[in-house]
Amino acid sequence: MKVEKGKTAKYLKEKHPIPKEVTQQLKDFTKAKKNLINALKEKEKTIPQLAKELDLPADKILFQLMTLLKYGLVESGDIDDMDEYFYYKLTNNGPNKS
Amino acid sequence: MEKRERLVYDVLVVGGGIAGCESALNLAKLGYKVLLIEKELSIGGKMILLSKVFPTLDCAACITTPKVSEIARHPNITIYTSTRSSSIIRKDDHNFEVRLVRKPRYVHIDDCTGCQLCEEACPVSITDEYQYGMVGRKAAYVPFSIASPRAAAIDIENCTLCGACERVCPTNCIDFTMEEEHLLLSVKSVVVATGFELFDPVKIPRYGFGKFKNVLTSMQMERQLAPTRPFNTILRPGDGKMPDNIAYVLCTGSRDKSVGNPICSQICCMYSIKQAQLLMGALPMADITIYYLHIRAFGKGFNEFYAQAQDMDVQFIKGKVGNITEKENGNLLLRVENIEKGTIMEAEHDMVVLSVGILPNMDLSESFKNEALTLDPFNFVDQADMMASPAKTSIDGVFVAGTASGPMDIPDSILSGGAASAEATSYLRRDTK
Repeated sequence: MKVEKGKTAKYLKEKHPIPKEVTQQLKDFTKAKKNLINALKEKEKTIPQLAKELDLPADKILFQLMTLLKYGLVESGDIDDMDEYFYYKLTNNGPNKS
Repeated sequence: MEKRERLVYDVLVVGGGIAGCESALNLAKLGYKVLLIEKELSIGGKMILLSKVFPTLDCAACITTPKVSEIARHPNITIYTSTRSSSIIRKDDHNFEVRLVRKPRYVHIDDCTGCQLCEEACPVSITDEYQYGMVGRKAAYVPFSIASPRAAAIDIENCTLCGACERVCPTNCIDFTMEEEHLLLSVKSVVVATGFELFDPVKIPRYGFGKFKNVLTSMQMERQLAPTRPFNTILRPGDGKMPDNIAYVLCTGSRDKSVGNPICSQICCMYSIKQAQLLMGALPMADITIYYLHIRAFGKGFNEFYAQAQDMDVQFIKGKVGNITEKENGNLLLRVENIEKGTIMEAEHDMVVLSVGILPNMDLSESFKNEALTLDPFNFVDQADMMASPAKTSIDGVFVAGTASGPMDIPDSILSGGAASAEATSYLRRDTK
């Protein structure tokens, strides 16, 4: 089989089918990312606020939010009045303001 | 893919941590051709992932990265990452035949500029092992920002093969046709610098690690304190709260026969004291309590460092933590035997750091096929003549460097790497062929 440089993923895909778990993982991340971005479109929020709104455990929100922060889609804002939780908001270069 | 050509080097250094790097660099500077193999995607070992070092509080990355880049550029050193040895056989005096297995990275390192455009384009997000599970990473990724080589890799097990990375790569360095390589080489000497493993605290269920989200390991805290940290600041993994009352539980998985590790890990006291000092800087309002059995501050400047932490108001309680339970708000209740007072006490903290111990890495010992690499009673590489020739092992021509021979701190690991290179040099000079 002739393999074209820059298009080699197709070659491996033909040899090895993608496991279902990998596809599911991608679906889960895409959904979580969309939910968090939508939740933050309105205004900046803390992790407990996001956990309540999205009805998800706070540790899962933290993981997903910090992942989006690493990918440059979210940034941290000020800390709350009790000096406990930071507010998080969408960045200007993320898929935010549109 | 079997490569039939036999590669020839003077020395094989197994392990690209700080001790292996030190050995490789010393040998290369003396003109020996060195092959350095590392099972991970980057050299630098655990040290490159640390925040600062004790007792000087120098930046760990600032010490590691110049050394690592000197090694990467040295003409006498060849580095193979994602590589393990499958067999080492002595054929003759000063002659070992080594078989290596090199996993595909799916990226041609020499062509990769580390631009991370592939990472940006990759739609997949999975747990980042270099941040000890606290944040995600892409399937196409540069392992961490100061990785060496600073080149992307594809996590093929989690890749959807969508081809997005290939489409954005400006140098066409991504190549999914890469396959596992089997290499054959001849070397005159071997330096074993395979480092250590960290104790997995899941093995002590009463501490709740893995169940209570605000119980973390010292390595996770190390990442939180590092400049390339996973969060925007120090946060509780359970809910993102900024902690203000942190406990350290020393000897987690060390000096504990019940978990199969009866020896002292030698570094936990000092790295915990270091982290406590760094936390006092990062969270000035926080209370830090260290529960310890004995503080072993035996090295140069260590006792002064310990005294400095006491002066900074780090609380030291001589006590054994029996168990940890979680309150509804995520805070943790520690039941402690206060050894000095002879009482049982309960203490509430909002985050607990388990100072995990060092375990031997026995990966390599089975690679030696016709001569046994003897291990000591704790499964570290046995030093055949510890007093007179500390790098010598049970096999003539095979030397040990760093924590492969037992728990030790960074300065001692570097010294041990130096000793291994000196003894290997002496051995190589005896080669009369």
